[in-house]
Amino acid sequence: MTNAVAGLGLAPDAAMVTFPIEMFLPGSDISPVEARKREFYDGLTRWRSAFAADGAAEAPMIRVQSASVEEAFSRANDLMLTNRWGDGLPLWPPTRERVDWILRGAAQPRGRRVGIFPPRGGVTTIETCAIALAMAGGRPEYLPVLIAAVDAFLDPESGSAQLQAASGSAFPVVIVNGPIGAQIRLNAGFGCLGPDPQRPAGASIGRALRLLQQNVGGALPGIGTMANYGGVRYTNVVFAEDEANLPMGWATHATERHAHAPGQNSISLAFANGATNIRRRGAKRETPEEDALQGMYRMADFMRVPNMPGLAGYEHGTPGILMIPGVVANTMAGLGWTKASIREFLWEHSRIPAEHLRRAGSPAWIEIDSSKVVRESIALDPWPITASPDNFIVVVAGGGHPTNGYWLQGYSPGVVGRVLELPSTFDALLAEAERDLGPVTPGPGGRPPR
Amino acid sequence: MSEDGDSRIIGPMVTLEFHDPSGAIEVKQHFAPRVTSLQGKRIGFVSNDQWQAFRMLPLLKKLLEADFPGIEVLPIDAFPQGNAVIGSEETAAQVKQSGVDAVVIGNAA
Repeated sequence: MTNAVAGLGLAPDAAMVTFPIEMFLPGSDISPVEARKREFYDGLTRWRSAFAADGAAEAPMIRVQSASVEEAFSRANDLMLTNRWGDGLPLWPPTRERVDWILRGAAQPRGRRVGIFPPRGGVTTIETCAIALAMAGGRPEYLPVLIAAVDAFLDPESGSAQLQAASGSAFPVVIVNGPIGAQIRLNAGFGCLGPDPQRPAGASIGRALRLLQQNVGGALPGIGTMANYGGVRYTNVVFAEDEANLPMGWATHATERHAHAPGQNSISLAFANGATNIRRRGAKRETPEEDALQGMYRMADFMRVPNMPGLAGYEHGTPGILMIPGVVANTMAGLGWTKASIREFLWEHSRIPAEHLRRAGSPAWIEIDSSKVVRESIALDPWPITASPDNFIVVVAGGGHPTNGYWLQGYSPGVVGRVLELPSTFDALLAEAERDLGPVTPGPGGRPPR
Repeated sequence: MSEDGDSRIIGPMVTLEFHDPSGAIEVKQHFAPRVTSLQGKRIGFVSNDQWQAFRMLPLLKKLLEADFPGIEVLPIDAFPQGNAVIGSEETAAQVKQSGVDAVVIGNAA
């Protein structure tokens, strides 16, 4: 619970009496409350905050000295771990030179304030973002995506204030639309949620966002975040929609969800807390129609579970993000499917019979929800897992192979979009990247990025 | 916050200076002043009704009443309960209006 109140402008401590989790479970022994009653009394009478000063306390520079570059690098990494700033993987020390280099990707002044990172309440500026990106092994041309993602993350609509600390292990998902995806080597195809030396941008950007969540936001496991498992948090999820393989007539996610103009560089941020492959292809002699329909049922069936993260975004957010590869999207489009009809199908066929909700105890969660729309939904049988088909996110992404789809289970009160701001020197940054990393390789399906 | 090199090493040293990545912290408002004593005070509870609060907070109310003569501890349900409402401005206004000297908030896990 440390830092839990700092995001409100209070000091990052509070008068708290903490107990082991066992005491908070049904049927627990609560006698420790009596044994430690003096701590409650002291909290009401004698406690004082250790952070008495007003204003902003600036973070200092750190200095290490060693006999060799290698040793200095090693000491810097050790120091970052002991200060709880690392993630266990090697970090690039954010030297002035490195951070200044990253800041070449900023369209805004380095001191511009982006927001306050919950729960700790660290002040987040363009420079703070650049420091995290430097640590994560990033490059200047990645910075516009990171800044926009942080800005969306800190938007109250995203729900990050709660999800940063909650036990449900939410991780941000950043979907990038527009030409910048291919330009900065974001993956939209094979392995787009994993490591790829040909398209490394997503890992660095997502890792930088995670480092900000932890170092500036204070979301340390068991201290600032009670995430039970914390999956997918090394790099979060950052990928581009495979616009090169969008079927004719299908709009991008950015246009559908945020009304961003086609071709505009933008990001969309949602939270998820599950990631699962769904085998959608048939195994025998299915017709194209059967193959598509059976795959849709299999995906909808997978969503029809009385798992409650969807409640967070029931009204305005999303129950999840369905990723389908371009080759499948084009086959389905040829059969008349659209993103809208896919969403309608998922909404209709992922409904849960009330009896299944009851046996799982789910109605209690629905009844205590803060949203009237959620509370009233309990009358529906079968119960839709989200208030509207439009809440489903359908994106075209993944390798050019028809067997699998992918479901990122939503835990997302909102879905927040941002248009990217690029520096006037962006083309020069891309040229430098080509000099450093070689030419951009073709996108999924062998098509060159556009 | 700095770490000096090993003093046994002789010869030129490599210095690596880098940013603290944790960002600045702003304190824009102070916590409420503590009461000097609990005797004769009016104490309230704001409960999210989760994590065994329905058992722990009544126990704490009983302990306060036993240990401090003249204390008035309001019923656990004197204010709205539940995560959805305890952080609202309306609840805060009700707490202020009740004239309590101090409030205990629980439970989080």
